[in-house]
Amino acid sequence: MKTLSLRNLGKTYFDPYAGAHVTAVHDVSLDVEPGEFISVVGPSGCGKTTILNMIAGFIPYSKGDILLDGKPVHGPGPERGVVFQSFALFPWKTVLDNVGFGPKMRGVPKAERDRIAREYLALAGLSHAAHRYPNELSGGMQQRVGVVRALANNPSVLLMDEPFASVDAQTRMTLQEELTRIWQERKPTVIFITHDVPEAVFLANRVVVLSKGRVLDEIAVDLPRPRVWDNLVKDDDFKQLSARVLQMVRAA
Amino acid sequence: MNLLLQIWAGYTRLTRRWPGFAAIIPFIPVLALWTAVSEAGVFPRAFFPGPADVVRAFFTLTYKGILPDYLQDSLIRLATGAAVGMAIGIPLGILIGTSRWAHRICWPVLLFFQAIGDIAWLPILLIWFGFGLTTMTFVIVYTVLFPVVLNTVLGVESVPRDLARAALSLGASRARVLWEVTLPGALPNIITGLRNGLGYGWRALIAVEMIVGTSGIGFMMFDARRAGSTVEILLGMIILGLLWYIVDAWVLAPLERVTGQRWGLVTS
Repeated sequence: MKTLSLRNLGKTYFDPYAGAHVTAVHDVSLDVEPGEFISVVGPSGCGKTTILNMIAGFIPYSKGDILLDGKPVHGPGPERGVVFQSFALFPWKTVLDNVGFGPKMRGVPKAERDRIAREYLALAGLSHAAHRYPNELSGGMQQRVGVVRALANNPSVLLMDEPFASVDAQTRMTLQEELTRIWQERKPTVIFITHDVPEAVFLANRVVVLSKGRVLDEIAVDLPRPRVWDNLVKDDDFKQLSARVLQMVRAA
Repeated sequence: MNLLLQIWAGYTRLTRRWPGFAAIIPFIPVLALWTAVSEAGVFPRAFFPGPADVVRAFFTLTYKGILPDYLQDSLIRLATGAAVGMAIGIPLGILIGTSRWAHRICWPVLLFFQAIGDIAWLPILLIWFGFGLTTMTFVIVYTVLFPVVLNTVLGVESVPRDLARAALSLGASRARVLWEVTLPGALPNIITGLRNGLGYGWRALIAVEMIVGTSGIGFMMFDARRAGSTVEILLGMIILGLLWYIVDAWVLAPLERVTGQRWGLVTS
C-alpha cells in the first residue's frame, strides 16, 4: 500500500495584491511508498512549499485528493510530522520537553515520554543537551532537535521543508549525512523539499522535479548507502545525476 | 588619580556584592541638595521641611499605626484592581489576538475607551457608585486593563505561526495550542503589560484616593494638605516612589527577565 498519494492535487488562491486568482499548484500526482525518501526540487515559485503545506494540512487544497494510508487528509495531524526551515522549537521548553511534546499530546505519562525523548536525542547525538533551552543551542543542533522531535511521534510520513537552508554550509553537510544515517536506521517515509539539487540527490531514493505547479520529471537515485560527502563528491554517478537534475531545474 | 581609581574599584566591588546599593547611590546628591536648601533657611521650615523631619514623621506615623494601615489599604486596592484587570484583560487579549472577528469588533471600542482617561470616569462613577470602594476599584481595573489587553494582543500576534503549526502537527488540539504555545509565547508581553498597567494603576489609585478616599496614601497626603502638614505630603510622595521602585525592580523586572531572556524571546 502507498503511504501517501497525491491525486491531481491543485491549489488556487486569491491574491489581494494582484487582485486576481493565482494557481500555485496546477495538477500534481505522486505516490510515495512506505519507507521511501523523496526529494522535491524546483525553482522558487514552483509550488513545492505549497504542496508540503497542503500535505501537512496547514492550508486547504482546491482540487484533487491527498490520501494517507488510503484515507483523505484535512487539517494537520500527528501522522504527518513536519520539520520546519525556521526550526519552530518551543523556546520555553527544554530540548527534552520539545522532543517529548508529541508523546505528551498523545497522553503518554511523563516518565515514559522522557524515556522516548532520550532515546531519540541519543539517535541525534544530543543526549548532553537534554536540559538546555533551544536558544542556547547552535542552529545545527536546533534542527537536529527539530528532526527528532518529529520522529519521536512516529509519523507515517515526515515532511521536511528546506530544513537545512538556514544553517551554514559545513553544518548542512553534517546534517545531511546524519539524516541519511537516521533514515537508514529508522526507515521513515520522507518528503524533503529543497532548492539545493546536490542535497536532493544526496538524500533521496527519488527526486521529483517541479515546474510551475506541475511534476516535470521523476528521477530514481540508486546510489549506494551509506552516503557520505567525502565519497560522493568524487563519485561519477552522483555528479552525472546532479548535473542532469540541475539542468532540468534551470530549464524549468 | 590613583585614589579615585581605588574608590571606583571599591564601588564596583560593593555594587557587585549588593546590587541594591547601586540604586541608592544616585540619590545621595538629591538628598544632599534637599538638606542644603532646607538648612539654608531660604524657605520657612513648615513650608519646606528637611529629610530629617520627614524621617521623624515616618516614625511617628508608623508608631501611631496610621501609615501601615493606609499603606495596606492602598496596596490591597491596587492588588485587587490588578487581579481583576488581569482576569479580564488576558482572556480578552487572547481572544482579540487569535480571532479576526473579535479583533474587528473589539479593537475600535478598545481604542475609544482607552482615550477616556481613568480620571475622566470619576464624575459619572461618583454619581453611580458614590464615594467608595466600588468607584476606586473601577478606576484601577480600568487603568490596568488597557496595557494588559493591548500587550497581550501584541504578544499573541508575535508568536511565530510555525510554532502553532508545529504543535498541531505533533497532535495538539486547538485548546492545547492555546495553552502550550499561544499563552507561553505571549507571556513576556503580558508581563510587560502588567508592569505598565500596575505603574499607571498605582498613579491612578493615588489620584482617586485624594478625591474619593477615606484612607490610603493618597488620602493621607490630601488630608495633610488641609492640616498644612508639608512633612506628611513629602513623606507620601517618597513612599510612592520607593514602593514602586521595590515592586518594579524586585518583582516585575526580574519576572520579565526570566521569561523573556531565558527563552531568548527578548534580546537583552
